[in-house]
Amino acid sequence: MSENRRQILDMLAQGKINADEAERLLKALEREPGSTTTAADARRNEQVKYLRVVVDAHDDQDGPTKVNIRVPMQLLRAGVKLTSIIPPRARTEVNEALRKEGIDVDIGKLTPESLEDIVEQLRDLQVDVDHEHAKVRIFCE
Amino acid sequence: MRPPLLAVVHILPNAMHRGIRLWVPLFLVWLLLLPFLLVLLPVFFVVCAAIDIHPFKTLGAFIAVLGSLNGTHVEVDSPSASVFIHVY
Repeated sequence: MSENRRQILDMLAQGKINADEAERLLKALEREPGSTTTAADARRNEQVKYLRVVVDAHDDQDGPTKVNIRVPMQLLRAGVKLTSIIPPRARTEVNEALRKEGIDVDIGKLTPESLEDIVEQLRDLQVDVDHEHAKVRIFCE
Repeated sequence: MRPPLLAVVHILPNAMHRGIRLWVPLFLVWLLLLPFLLVLLPVFFVVCAAIDIHPFKTLGAFIAVLGSLNGTHVEVDSPSASVFIHVY
């Protein structure tokens, strides 16, 4: 909850303004861009669109190599949807194999909500590898 | 969500002066493939029944994958070759 919204609700609770005035003030706050949402809220509302992989490598023999890959997040979402069409027998085997690797996930239970949670967590993903011969950056934008 | 309509593919082997620069009109490819897909549809349903998967869910998932390819960008630039692929 933003500071302004809290102040209005406090004023209403203290009886300094009535419910109609509070409603009007809250609506005015909503109309005013940037006042109701903090920077973090605004960032959260932004959709992550792409997963970027940038590699800048330099090999003594082959010379410099640059790789720039941009994968739409939508593709990731659609790809996870493919798990729902895995035949039940194969799904059991995949779950078993994942469990053996220490990943206790039932791929048949991936819902759109859990998928959105995964994508939401990817928002903060940033991998930076700074090696003598290569720099790798993986991030979302 | 719409299927990709155009793909730009550049493959430039640096040893040669001329490489391949293609603008692939994917919307024409979809149109050309459509009759074949319609013919193959009964086969697809039989296969889905045989391996116990939902045909409509499967179709939906494939269309979703196809529809989300827009904006894919791959660019590799090395001394031996350069590859550029962009899907619109």
